[in-house]
Amino acid sequence: MLTLEVVEMELPLTALREGESGVITSIRAGFGWGKGGGYGLQKRLMDMGLTPGTKITVVKSAPFHGPIEINVRGYRLAIGRGMAEKILVEVQK
Amino acid sequence: MTEKKLKIALAGNANVGKSVIFNQLTGLHQHIGNWPGKTVEKAEGTLHFKGYTVDIIDLPGIYSLSTFSLEEIVSREYIVDEKPDLVINVVDASALERNLFFTLQLLELETPLIIALNQIDMAEKKGIKIDLKRLEEKLGVSVVPTIAIKGKGIYELLEKAVEVIEKGAAKPSVISYGEEIEERIRRLTEALGKIRLKYPARWTVIKLLEGDEQVKKEIYDLSPEILQTAENLAREIEEIHGHPCPTVVVSERYEVAGKIAREVQRILPRIKPQLGERLHEVTTHRVLGYPIMILIVLGIFNVIFVFGGYMSEFLNGLLYGYEPLFEQLFGLNPLKEIIWGGIIEGVIANITIALPYIIPFYLILYILEDSGYLARAAFLTDTLMHKMGLHGKAFIPLMLGYGCNVPACLGCRIMETERERLLTGFVVTLIPCAARTIVILGLVGSFLGFYWALTLYVIDLIIVFLLGELAFKVLPGEPTALIMEMPDYRLPHFKTVIKQTWFRLEEFLKISFPLIIVSGLIIKLAEIFNLLEPISRFLNPVTVTWLGLPEITGVTLIFGILRKELTLVILATLLGTTNFQEVLTPLQIFVFTLVVMLYVPCVATIAACSKEFGRKKAAMISLLEIILAISVGGLAYRILATLNLLEH
Repeated sequence: MLTLEVVEMELPLTALREGESGVITSIRAGFGWGKGGGYGLQKRLMDMGLTPGTKITVVKSAPFHGPIEINVRGYRLAIGRGMAEKILVEVQK
Repeated sequence: MTEKKLKIALAGNANVGKSVIFNQLTGLHQHIGNWPGKTVEKAEGTLHFKGYTVDIIDLPGIYSLSTFSLEEIVSREYIVDEKPDLVINVVDASALERNLFFTLQLLELETPLIIALNQIDMAEKKGIKIDLKRLEEKLGVSVVPTIAIKGKGIYELLEKAVEVIEKGAAKPSVISYGEEIEERIRRLTEALGKIRLKYPARWTVIKLLEGDEQVKKEIYDLSPEILQTAENLAREIEEIHGHPCPTVVVSERYEVAGKIAREVQRILPRIKPQLGERLHEVTTHRVLGYPIMILIVLGIFNVIFVFGGYMSEFLNGLLYGYEPLFEQLFGLNPLKEIIWGGIIEGVIANITIALPYIIPFYLILYILEDSGYLARAAFLTDTLMHKMGLHGKAFIPLMLGYGCNVPACLGCRIMETERERLLTGFVVTLIPCAARTIVILGLVGSFLGFYWALTLYVIDLIIVFLLGELAFKVLPGEPTALIMEMPDYRLPHFKTVIKQTWFRLEEFLKISFPLIIVSGLIIKLAEIFNLLEPISRFLNPVTVTWLGLPEITGVTLIFGILRKELTLVILATLLGTTNFQEVLTPLQIFVFTLVVMLYVPCVATIAACSKEFGRKKAAMISLLEIILAISVGGLAYRILATLNLLEH
């Protein structure tokens, strides 16, 4: 039988190992209501389905500080490491 | 009787087979242009069906109708301003949830809509079965299953489209958000009163809450108070949810998309991983991925150079074989010189570069793109591209650059922001294209050997990275991170690949062909009026004193701007031999080629640059590269002479 043990801890997406899953809690980019700066990128991430509460699984982490491949809403998405560091997740073991 | 006209737009995410459907629908009757005033591609085609002339327009592949990229703005403006009779939303059945998120936005825009549920075969392979009837009920729009790559469902799609247009589309479902949002939508709609933008009222209100920059600005111009109300209401939602209002709106929309997806699809566990899955594993593998990529890239270059070199020589021989015949017809006089040397040789040059080098290069590249490999290459090279302030996607225009800088410049459009387009454009123009490769192989490769030619490529790459990094630091603005879907591997659709190659070739011909003809004429006239020597004498301090080259090379460098491979031809003409060893020292051959490789690409590339980035920036890039080439050339001359590595 599968049991889900939810560990109450916020970590950046980059802290997840390959195969580990987490639920997005927030995206820590400079976000104001409609202000410039990080708004565009954060909107982009959300448009791609990375909204708070979404479960994501790290499939692969490229070497040399490269991007991270995740599985979200049934498809594969590559995210640059710098951006991935700003995505906070709650780890599910 | 004149046929009735219909306008149908194709919209959907990237990588859902939209262009395949477009090709299946329109066949040969299509053309690619730009949106007025914007450098976003616009593919249009026509077809005739049941007494209608149907114009099909292929909107760019996007994930949302917000204002993140030019593509998104262009798409939503098209739908709102041009009011197509119908929008066909192409949906990838194997990633239903994310695709439906986009569909919901089209529904909110209240445009007449049907859905082409594409790649149902790939979805089935993934174990996904979709209940079409339920999906139709949930969305309130017709759904036609298609396997575009095999041509399945295309006729039915067209039939359904015309039927829906004739009967009028059924009223689509309205997606409802949570009550606390709906209440504020109602209040804001009331506040909006009679004020109308060109968008539907509900959409305007939702976009205001979503913080859409463009809608906010348009509303502000009409009534700043409404914007104030919107901001207050958004803050209320923010307080209730603990997340910024735009996040809440997008989350809820995705929630609806997810709910529909879960209700209409059944996912069966798969027994074994598909071939595509395994290919993905290997090609993005942390160890294996890199050698595979290098092998693929080297493989391409090898094929191109071997095949291209052979073809180019063959075509050259064939076409120049007509010169005696031409002489017989026209006789040996200045007119013949101008027509043959000025015009026909230009045509030959175009043919011997385009056919043997550019066509096969793009053919292979688009096969790789259509199959999904380029996304993997972008994934692997992201770190490397960050070294010059770009991200993985820039790998694609950089690769295009090795074929020809003109399409590569235009290919910079895949970068998201203006700043990145410019940065990529700058770097791309430093990549040795097929024409420069001809010079490098023809001079350094033939007379100094393979390793010296390779040295030039390595020097070029080093310069690309150094300058890229410098430009990245100098240019204001923030770097953008890689956010890229990695589509499943699939068999490339041959017709689509051919079309894409043809469109690139067309762009190359449109920009470069007239310029090449004109430049050929200018050179011939300069020759006839004995302008070559004075030009060379004028450049003496640079060529002779600083670069250590013979004076006569000055004129070749000037005319090389018109066409890079011409430097080789003019050099041979002026020196009176193609055995360059006799007249140039190995060091001179190396320095000359180095300078040719680096200074402004060519007049066609400058034209492409100024089309994409404006005249001022194109001029800046050109000037910078001339200074760069002369500096590096002079330095190389002194260093190599001191080290005595090459005979001088």
